Amino acid sequence: MELAFRGSALGKVYRTGETEVHALRGVDLEIRTGELLVLLGPSGSGKSTLLNIIGGLDRPTSGELHYGGTDLVGLNDRELTRFRRANIGFIFQFYNLIPSLTAEENVRLVTDIADRPMEPGEALALVGLAERANHYPAQLSGGEQQRVAVARAIAKQPGVLLCDEPTGALDSKTGIRVLETLAKANRELGTTVAIITHNVGIAAMAQRVLHFLDGRIARTEINENPVDPQAISW
Amino acid sequence: MKALDLKLLRDLWRMRGQALAIALVLAAATATFVLSLGVHRSLTETRDAYYARNHFADIFAEMTRAPRNIVARVAAIPGVQRAEGVIQQYASLDMPGRNIPVRALVNSVDEHGHDRLNLVTLREGRMPRPGASREVVVDEAFAEANALGPGDEIDAIIYGSRLRLRIVGVGLAPNFIYSLAPGDIIPDNSRFGVFWMGEKALEAATDRKEAINALSLTLEKGASDADVIRKVDTLLAPYGGTGAYGREDHLSHAFLDNELMQLDAMTEVIPPVFLLVATFLVYIVLGRMIRTERTQIGLLKAFGYSDLAIASHYLKFALAIAVVAAVAGSLAGVWMGQAMTRLYAEYYRFPFLEYRNSPVVFLGAAMLSFGAAALGALAGMRAAARLSPAVAMSPPPPPVYRAGMVERFGTAAGFTAIGYMITRHIARWPWRSAITVLGVALSMGLLFATLQFLDSSRAMLDSYFFRAQRQDLTVTFTEPRNEDVLYELAQLPGVLRVEPARGVPVKLHFGNRMERTAIESATGDAQLSARIDGEGKAIALPVAGLMLSRQMADKLGVHAGDRVFVELLGGRQTKSVLPVAGIVDEFVGERVYAAQATLERITRDASPAGSALLRIDPAARDGLLARLKDMPQVLGVTERDAAMNKFEEMIDDNLYTMLFFYVGFASAIAVGVVYNSARILFSERANELATLRVLGYYRSEVGLVLLGELALLVAAAVPVGCILGYWLAQVMTAMFSSDLFRLPFAPTRATYGYSILVILASAALTALAVARRVLRLDMVRVLKARE
Repeated sequence: MELAFRGSALGKVYRTGETEVHALRGVDLEIRTGELLVLLGPSGSGKSTLLNIIGGLDRPTSGELHYGGTDLVGLNDRELTRFRRANIGFIFQFYNLIPSLTAEENVRLVTDIADRPMEPGEALALVGLAERANHYPAQLSGGEQQRVAVARAIAKQPGVLLCDEPTGALDSKTGIRVLETLAKANRELGTTVAIITHNVGIAAMAQRVLHFLDGRIARTEINENPVDPQAISW
Repeated sequence: MKALDLKLLRDLWRMRGQALAIALVLAAATATFVLSLGVHRSLTETRDAYYARNHFADIFAEMTRAPRNIVARVAAIPGVQRAEGVIQQYASLDMPGRNIPVRALVNSVDEHGHDRLNLVTLREGRMPRPGASREVVVDEAFAEANALGPGDEIDAIIYGSRLRLRIVGVGLAPNFIYSLAPGDIIPDNSRFGVFWMGEKALEAATDRKEAINALSLTLEKGASDADVIRKVDTLLAPYGGTGAYGREDHLSHAFLDNELMQLDAMTEVIPPVFLLVATFLVYIVLGRMIRTERTQIGLLKAFGYSDLAIASHYLKFALAIAVVAAVAGSLAGVWMGQAMTRLYAEYYRFPFLEYRNSPVVFLGAAMLSFGAAALGALAGMRAAARLSPAVAMSPPPPPVYRAGMVERFGTAAGFTAIGYMITRHIARWPWRSAITVLGVALSMGLLFATLQFLDSSRAMLDSYFFRAQRQDLTVTFTEPRNEDVLYELAQLPGVLRVEPARGVPVKLHFGNRMERTAIESATGDAQLSARIDGEGKAIALPVAGLMLSRQMADKLGVHAGDRVFVELLGGRQTKSVLPVAGIVDEFVGERVYAAQATLERITRDASPAGSALLRIDPAARDGLLARLKDMPQVLGVTERDAAMNKFEEMIDDNLYTMLFFYVGFASAIAVGVVYNSARILFSERANELATLRVLGYYRSEVGLVLLGELALLVAAAVPVGCILGYWLAQVMTAMFSSDLFRLPFAPTRATYGYSILVILASAALTALAVARRVLRLDMVRVLKARE
């Protein structure tokens, strides 16, 4: 299987005043194209740092990172932005929708600048929100808002979807609906999906689970039989 | 220090940029207030003290020639405190190495020091001694401009005979604080001076033994000046009296008064504009601050802080800004006041003129600053006081947006989602958007209105010097002459055309109003002078009746078709009734014109010419001036170009001072408004901007969301600013117009362009400075936090 990301000896040090925080301490990793990956671990174990680095929001302090044939470590800000624009869809715990734009317009924010986007309506239909297209975020429930965020992330047909606690602010029922849309994108569009979570149950839907501890991948678990999100025990 | 006050200090420090931007606008208000009131006060107090100390007279009168004993009869008029008679004689000066015409007004002084009115203050040297026949004191401005001092000698032609004058002193007098050569509208100290000479010496030089031609008097408290003037006129009528007049018609006093009136107008218009903008700024900044500090307010109230304590905390924030503004503005005002006072001291000659201010003015400035800040804080204070702790500590309801007008056209116009973000945000905060637009518009309006003064002055210059005056030289005669002197002038080499200029002193009466003036006339085929109306068109003299300048018509309250009563002063003292044939919208002075035939009907005589207008061959100028200097009938020569240059010099002087101050002031408003709007916008949208960056928008595209909204608001402010400026400029030109000048409203396209440019540039630089924050946006941190 083809590799999406290949990283070796990735390190990240944050300096705040006198103190140094080692967020990543030499992480080696390979992410295959079309894979659904779950990153588990306690707070501060380095999951988010890694996700931000592979998503081009942040740079490693040391190590190498390639996306396909592109060396991500050597890119400047503009090139990183270009990389995100072309390849990455992000989903965060707090939806981060633009309150002044309707659901459809929030999706259009991405389709306006993407190379080969789907129609905003199509993306909303994929997450089951076709009827709510003209609603503003303030008029949607939390779960609906997060599905709009998913639609916004998949509308540009990105190679990779990076999700940082996508269900952290949701109850089980709406959380599972969001996970279903992620699984659907992985299955039907072949999108590589990486999900950070505290919820161990979610690991059941992954093909591979990376366990983080103290800035390292402590253990990799391969799941031969990923389950449907419906079957997850929350 | 209490914890809450510590928070106040930290908040001020954290928001120092915004606080300073507000302080800047408030300081501009304080500065202009301190500046104009301070200069006004300095001028008034200095003038009043000078008048009192040197006994500036209350009533003045001139006549052809009267026996000195008339003074005692004038002094005997009830209500007159003291009267003094003098000889005033124009002299032509022959200065080595200068062939430009130089003139002096020589005044007699009592050699024994018995004068009590319009006293000369000596700056250097001494007064003329009794028995000295050629000693003079010269005025300080003239001495400075010509590098003269005690011991120097000047050749003068007084009353037709040449006299070598010896300067024994340099002085100043309260009746010549502002001095103008006849026919000039701007002082030119190198070409015109005021001299004082011993009475006996001047009597001898002018063949006026025991005679005078001018007198001045002071009034007893409570005396009616109109009564005294009437009685003086009756007494002087047989001696060619040209009508007594009070201080308000005294040239030096009137010009100074005019200046004071303009300062008043400035105080009334400019500081309020700044105060208004500052109030708005405090309102929007404090409003935003209270929205972001909602949770803290809730917490503080939960701890037991009272509503009053919270409200006063935010009031203190506004007042702290006002304190800084009041101090900085006062300092700036004093500094500018000193600069402006120095400028005044060049045109108005006082023995001392220092910028002085009273604590009352500073206190007033501080009160205005505090008042504006407190007013702006009111809405925020109320909101903070009303928040209940439980509500305040829960997150605020999400802002509700609605599709508006833009959506109806937006999609068709190809609006992107970013476009909607901008327009909906503006519509979501209509008040704040309106304040931004109004603030920027006001700054532009203020700049426009100030710059328009330059246009106005230039329009006046153009009308007065280029269109109305077409002669190269004006030759003034020692006394009115008949035609033969004109022929003599025409024969001089280099003279291309000669036209007589006539003027006779009159009193015009209409209803119960009366004005002293002169009726001016020109021949029917005159080419060298014209009357120019507001549109720049030349208006012909009326066949019959009088033509009045707008100023004069307004003063008398007459309209075309009314009949005025004309009383000739001096000469035959005729009385006639003449119709007002027309009114001309002139800019300079209150004037009355008539055709030559009309004038002759009034004087019952072929009236002689007081001066002649000459068009000359420029190549022959030097030789011609030398010849004119030697003609005994010629009192003086005025060059139009020199006067015009002097006028332009004055405009330029003011131009640089004004440009410096007002471009700064107007930019201060624009910067203050745009900076605060941009910072608020940025803080409200930091999350959205970070989201856009995560989604793959470049920094430049994200910056556009911020700048786009500001650009739209500033663009909207441009037409509003033009309208406000147009209106403000009209109000200000009207307020600045006086008896002496009527300022035309004549904005040029360059003024519009320049105002727009300065404001756009200030706004753009400020917005860009704030937009640089996009570069430092921490995408990760912003996204992890819930607002």
